[in-house]
Amino acid sequence: MAAGVMALGMAVLVWGAAAFDAALGGARGGRGVAGAPFREGARLVVQQRRRTDRADVLLTRAGVVVLPLAALLAAVVLPVGGAPVLDMGAGVVWFNAMEVCVWGALWLVGWGVNAVWPLVGGYRFLAQGMAYELPHMFVLITAGVGAGSLRFADVVAAQRGLWFVVWMPVAFVVYLVSAVAMAFWGPMGQPVGRDVCGGVPGELGGPDRLVFLAGRYALLVVAAAGAVPLFLGGAAGPVLPGWGWGLLKTVAVLAVLVVVRHRVPVVRMDRFVQFSWVVLIPLTLLQLLVVAMAVLP
Amino acid sequence: MVVCGRPGPELAGAVRGVWGAVPVPRALVGLPPDVSGGEVVAALDGAVRVLGDERGQWEDARDMASGSSGDGAGEPPMAERGADRDGLKLDRLHVPLGPVLVDWPAGLVVETVLQGDVIQEAQVRALPAEVARGAFWEARPGERREETRRRTAAARLDSLGRLLGVAGWPAAAREARRLRDRLLAGAVDDGDRRRCVRFTRRVRRSWVLRWMLRGAGQIGPDAPRQLQGDALDRLHRWLDEIEAMVGVAEPGEVGERDGGSRVVREWGGREGSVGAFGGGRGSVGEVLALLPGLLVGAELAVARLIVAGLDPDLDRLPAGAEAGTRDG
Repeated sequence: MAAGVMALGMAVLVWGAAAFDAALGGARGGRGVAGAPFREGARLVVQQRRRTDRADVLLTRAGVVVLPLAALLAAVVLPVGGAPVLDMGAGVVWFNAMEVCVWGALWLVGWGVNAVWPLVGGYRFLAQGMAYELPHMFVLITAGVGAGSLRFADVVAAQRGLWFVVWMPVAFVVYLVSAVAMAFWGPMGQPVGRDVCGGVPGELGGPDRLVFLAGRYALLVVAAAGAVPLFLGGAAGPVLPGWGWGLLKTVAVLAVLVVVRHRVPVVRMDRFVQFSWVVLIPLTLLQLLVVAMAVLP
Repeated sequence: MVVCGRPGPELAGAVRGVWGAVPVPRALVGLPPDVSGGEVVAALDGAVRVLGDERGQWEDARDMASGSSGDGAGEPPMAERGADRDGLKLDRLHVPLGPVLVDWPAGLVVETVLQGDVIQEAQVRALPAEVARGAFWEARPGERREETRRRTAAARLDSLGRLLGVAGWPAAAREARRLRDRLLAGAVDDGDRRRCVRFTRRVRRSWVLRWMLRGAGQIGPDAPRQLQGDALDRLHRWLDEIEAMVGVAEPGEVGERDGGSRVVREWGGREGSVGAFGGGRGSVGEVLALLPGLLVGAELAVARLIVAGLDPDLDRLPAGAEAGTRDG
C-alpha cells in the first residue's frame, strides 16, 4: 500500500517536473503544457527503436532499466510524507548506494550502443561522478552526524527544534549541486549534452528512450525529495497533514532545480572537477567539522 | 527531416546516412534554395500527411529492418592504440566532426583522432558549395545601410544561437534565434531593441558562461584583430556589435554619431559585409587555417565551443579555397 502510494506520488511529480520544464522551455501551440509530457511519451511509445551496428543490446537495456529502478529503490527509505516505505537503520547509506547505481547505468548505455557520442557521454558522467560524489557523501554524513544516526527518521526527529538547512547552509547548497549532478540535469547535463548529439541516450529511440528519460526525471524527483528529510525538517509543519508538507517542500525544491536548467549553461567537467576538489570538498569538510564540534560531547 | 538547399555529392551522402538512422515514423522534405513561402508550407503539409500514413510508415519500418540486418563488410578493424597526453596507451578513434552535426557550421568537416574525448589530431576541410550564389549573410547590392545593420545583428544572433546551444543553454539559444527571426522579418522597433539589449545583458552577466569560455581557443596577436583573444573575448565582440547595430540609435541614422560607427570602423569599415567577423572574404580562410592548431589537445566540449565561437561561414569562402586540407 505504502509502496503504491509512493510510486504514484513519484509518477505525479515526474509528470509535474516534465510539464513545468516544457512550460519554461516555451512549449506553445495552445494545447497547454499539462499534456506535453504525455504527448512526448505517446510519440516515443510508437517510435521505432534505433539500432546501432554491433550494439550490446543486453547491456544497453539493463542500463536503461536501472535508471528508474535506482530512483524507486532510493525513494523507499525517504520519509517524505511521514513514515518511509522501508525504515532502514542505515537509510542514508542505502539512499546514496542507489544513487551510485546511476554511474553503472549511464556507462552501460553509453558503452552498450557502440557509438561514439554516447561513449563520450559515458566518459563525461564518470568524470562528473568523480567531481560530485565526494562532496555529496560528506554532505550526507554531515546530516547524519547532526542527528547522530543514519536512519532518516532520526534525522527528521533531530530537526524538531531547528531545520538543518539553517545551521548547515553549506551542506544544503552542496546537496542541491550534487542533486543536479546525479540526475545529470541542466548545468550538470554534459553527459547528455547537445554538443555531443544528446550524449548517452543519443542513439536510443522509442520505448528505450522513454524509459531512460522518465528514469532521469525520477532521479531528479528523488534527489529533490531527499532534501526534505535531510535538511528541511521532513514532513513537519503546522496546519497541513504530514504528507502535505512533505509534498509541498519536495515540489519547492524540484521547482528550483527545474528553473536552474533554464538559467544556467552547462558546466564543463574539466573545469568543475577542479572547482569541486579545491573548493567544494574543503568547504563540506569544514561544515562537517563545525557540525561535529557542535554535536559531539 | 528537412534538407534545406541543394547538397553537393559528399554532403548528400552524409544526409543519406542521417536519414537512414532516423526512426520511423518519419518523413523527408527537400527544400531547394529558390522555393517560395507557399511551397515551403505545402512541403511541410505533405510531410504531415506522410507521417499520418500508417501503412506507408509500417512498410518503411519493414524495409529499414530488412535493409540494416546485413552486417555486410565483416568485422570492422579494431581501434589502434597510441600514447596519450598522460603517457597511457589508449584506443584511438577516427571520428569526423561534421558535415552534418547539430549547431555546427554547415559544410565544415574536421577529421579528428580521438582518445577518450581528447582530440589528438585534426584535419580541417570545407565541402564545396554546390551552387555558387551569393552567401545569405553577404550584403546585397543596393541594400540600405539600415538594412545592412539589421542583418548584421541578425547574423551575430544566428551565430550566438549555435554557440549558446553548444554551451548547453537552450533557453538563451532559443531567445537568440527568436530575435534573429524578428530582425530578419523587418524594421526594428523599440520593442525589438529592448529585447536585444535585455538578451545581450543576460548573456554577458552569466558567470558560468564566462567561466566556461575563458581561455578556450586562445588566438595570438598575429591573427586579424577580430579573431584575437579567447572565446569569451569573441563572444563579447559579438554582443557589442549587436548592441551597436540595434540598441542605441534611431533606425535609418545608425552609425554616424553613436557607438555603432566606432564598431563599423573598427571592423574594417566594411559596410558592405554582414557575415562572420565583418566578413572580409579572407577571414573565413584564416579561421580554417587556425582551427587545427586550436583543436589539437582540446577536449571535445572545448573544441565545440571553439568552433561555435569562431563560426566560419563557409558560403563566403573564396571559390577553390575549400579543397585544401589543413593538418594539425
